[in-house]
Amino acid sequence: MRGVLLQCDVPAKEFILSLNDSKPTNERFVILDLDDTHLFVQPTVVEWLEKRLKEFNEENTYQPPRREDVR
Amino acid sequence: MGGPSKFKIKLPSFKPELAESIEVKESNKPAQEKPAKRVRKRKAPSPDEYIPVGAEIEGIGADDIEELSENEDEYYKLGAEDDEFKDYAALKLKPDHANRPLWVCPDGRIFLETFSPVYRQAYDFLIAIAEPVCRPECVHEYVLTPHSLYAAVSIGLNTQTIITVLNRLSKVQLPPEINAFIQESTGNYGKVKLVLHRNKFWVESPYPDILRALLKDEVIKKAHVAAPEGKSGFTVMAGLTEQAALDLTKEVEMAEVEEIADGSNPEPDAAAVDLGVAAAEALARAETTQRELHSFEIEPSQVEHVKARCLPGGLNYPMLEEYDFRNDTVNPDLNIELKPHVQHRPYQEKSMAKMFGNGRARSGIIVLPCGAGKSLVGITAAARIKKSVLCLVTNSVSVDQWKHQFKLWTNLQDHQISRFTSDQKESFAGVSGVTITTYTMVSYSGRRSEESARVMDEIASREWGLLLLDEVHVVPAQMFRKVIGIVKAHCKLGLTATLVREDERISDLNFLIGPKLYEANWLDLTRAGHIANVQCAEVWCPMTKEFYREYLKKDNAARRQLLYVMNPNKFQACQFLIQYHEQVRGDKIIVFSDNIFALREYAQRLRKPFIYGGTSHQERTRVLAAFKRSAEVSTVFLSKVGDNSIDIPEANVLIQISSHAGSRRQEAQRLGRILRAKKGKPGSQAADEFNAFFYTLVSKDTQEMYYSTKRQQFLIDQGYSFKVITNLLDAAGGANLQLSTRDEQLDVLAKVLAAGEEEAGVEVADVTDDVIRTKRALAQRTTGNLAKLSGADGLTYMEYDTGKAQKPRLTTKSGKMRHIMFRKHAQGKL
Repeated sequence: MRGVLLQCDVPAKEFILSLNDSKPTNERFVILDLDDTHLFVQPTVVEWLEKRLKEFNEENTYQPPRREDVR
Repeated sequence: MGGPSKFKIKLPSFKPELAESIEVKESNKPAQEKPAKRVRKRKAPSPDEYIPVGAEIEGIGADDIEELSENEDEYYKLGAEDDEFKDYAALKLKPDHANRPLWVCPDGRIFLETFSPVYRQAYDFLIAIAEPVCRPECVHEYVLTPHSLYAAVSIGLNTQTIITVLNRLSKVQLPPEINAFIQESTGNYGKVKLVLHRNKFWVESPYPDILRALLKDEVIKKAHVAAPEGKSGFTVMAGLTEQAALDLTKEVEMAEVEEIADGSNPEPDAAAVDLGVAAAEALARAETTQRELHSFEIEPSQVEHVKARCLPGGLNYPMLEEYDFRNDTVNPDLNIELKPHVQHRPYQEKSMAKMFGNGRARSGIIVLPCGAGKSLVGITAAARIKKSVLCLVTNSVSVDQWKHQFKLWTNLQDHQISRFTSDQKESFAGVSGVTITTYTMVSYSGRRSEESARVMDEIASREWGLLLLDEVHVVPAQMFRKVIGIVKAHCKLGLTATLVREDERISDLNFLIGPKLYEANWLDLTRAGHIANVQCAEVWCPMTKEFYREYLKKDNAARRQLLYVMNPNKFQACQFLIQYHEQVRGDKIIVFSDNIFALREYAQRLRKPFIYGGTSHQERTRVLAAFKRSAEVSTVFLSKVGDNSIDIPEANVLIQISSHAGSRRQEAQRLGRILRAKKGKPGSQAADEFNAFFYTLVSKDTQEMYYSTKRQQFLIDQGYSFKVITNLLDAAGGANLQLSTRDEQLDVLAKVLAAGEEEAGVEVADVTDDVIRTKRALAQRTTGNLAKLSGADGLTYMEYDTGKAQKPRLTTKSGKMRHIMFRKHAQGKL
């Protein structure tokens, strides 16, 4: 079986697992849950995962709004 | 997933004003080619060219300049890719610009160099005419707005002075846009005044034409109380005393002499600026004091509408409220004197000078950081006016604190100070005095007990000399309107530390109370030692695996907050900090949590006392007293009831474990709890040393990170910087901390998941961030009341209908008269 080994920190792994769990059984992409920081996943989802992770990270980051023109 | 990229410290980032120092040439090469360099010097400044004063600050060394001069094609317009980039290269610098502290931009922004020798004078002037936006260490940003100019006029500056002084301080010729803007915004200011005279409101102006114009407006026409016997004209009163005007002409002459001297010397002279201001003020007063004053009466209930109508958005004749207290012979004087030992700090003097600039008392708001002696400012104002004072505060605890302050600073005796709360319904002896009460007591609209109705009547029927409004930012506009409708006061003084609100209702205060009279700079006060030097730190606590898994589950959305607050790593960080500060430094610590479940859980595990909305007044007082006096109790846990005005001067460490979303105000108010100047520990006299600590514990990779950054914005604008600590617990090592085993952590997790939704939320939504929600509440789960906010929960004013007072029922249900026997029975005659 072909797959990609992902190494990530604990929260990221939990996040990926939660994405995996939210899918119907036939679409799940995690092949093996190796340990706290390693996952073996379908090669097709890697790009998508990166995107989702980035989005998730941004949700938790505050950007001060630009000061709109004063007058 | 590393921590999200954050910019904790707001550098004096690139501002448009620096554009002048950039050689402006179209560069063909993209800026990215020289990414690491922030170069903005031309190759060889000729003597009359500008050498940026702030060059060292921006971290540009001589090397950079050298390098650039070698390949001169490569000019880089700093920040040009930024959307906010504005090119002001066309503005002409004055030849002696290096000596002048201000950059005035055509869009109304003003930048002040704090390292200028005339910084102090320039600051005093700017704070009078412009709104501070951001005040970090080296360059401050201000902005001119119609409101800020209104404030400037109301403290006696006139259009011409504003322009002249601003031009004198500016490095560039005043842009014509600014000139026009100031003219346009201030032209109508100060022409109309609102006066409370013999318990009636009058609109007063030296120009009858303006009054006639005002009366054409629908809103004002409606509010106008027509003169009784068909007299069409306005009431005409004699102008004010001429004495003031006479004194003033002298001042003006002196200032003029100074002015001439100043002309020969192009350097902006601090004294000249001051005098210029004085001269203008003098002129303005001379003008108004010599004319006849025309006025018409308006309905008390419509005062607020009339005022709002006259603001720049409407008729553009903003009204000034002034109180000529020296010539008020109708209201009895209050014999109040400051005690001789009272000493004012310079900024307190300044704010008083703004308030009483022309011998009359102006209404307005004074903004000072928490712990900088706001109460003394209020009390001094009261002692200056010497009339009855009504003092409105947020809760019953601060009522007691204000009474204490009055007795501490003045010669007032117990019988002259009355408190009106749900517990004490006192009225002062004699014809004048001080009454201290809460906003809720005054605005309460339900039925009152006989005693409280009597006190309320006294309050409503009296003409107060001064209405002191403590913590003005917390009170929602509606409540204010009500209070101001009930209470007739000649002069209103609002005190606050944080004039920000997430709902931007601050602008209402402009016409409800008055313009901002003075605002102090936090960093200046810190440097002068008037407030504590605080180290702000954000501690990042990683979520544990189990907690994070639950956090991500969709069905736990309501419990998310509780999950990140109860994060075992956060708990350990909290425990570690408490242990460290208690044992190593011997500090007094406050821990804040908005979440009651977490508050209780933390406090009980660590065996510390805690106070929240449900804590009784007695217990609260007892815990706080123990915290103040006893060495045993060095830590106290507070819910958001402790945010405002619980005065705990001893505390110098603050740990925040949970907070109300992204409220900037809450952050600032909480910081205020530890801001009161601390006495240095013996032996450590270093001025730079931090003597107070403000920790925010944040669970990594959660929403809390977002909120935490948002909350810090206000303090960052005041010039504070936050240090991020990512590895606190690594440093803690083998300290004896709870919840270090997985089993313990899972126990906590189970408890969290078992907690009802009610418990899991924030201290239930009766109090939201800034607003006491009235209508359109989004998530109001319980019948909320203000008492919880004010800390008077359970002590609220209540009245029960015993049924005894019921009117005897004399008719049957269908409306017919009852039989005589029943009637007599009902009336108690049988």
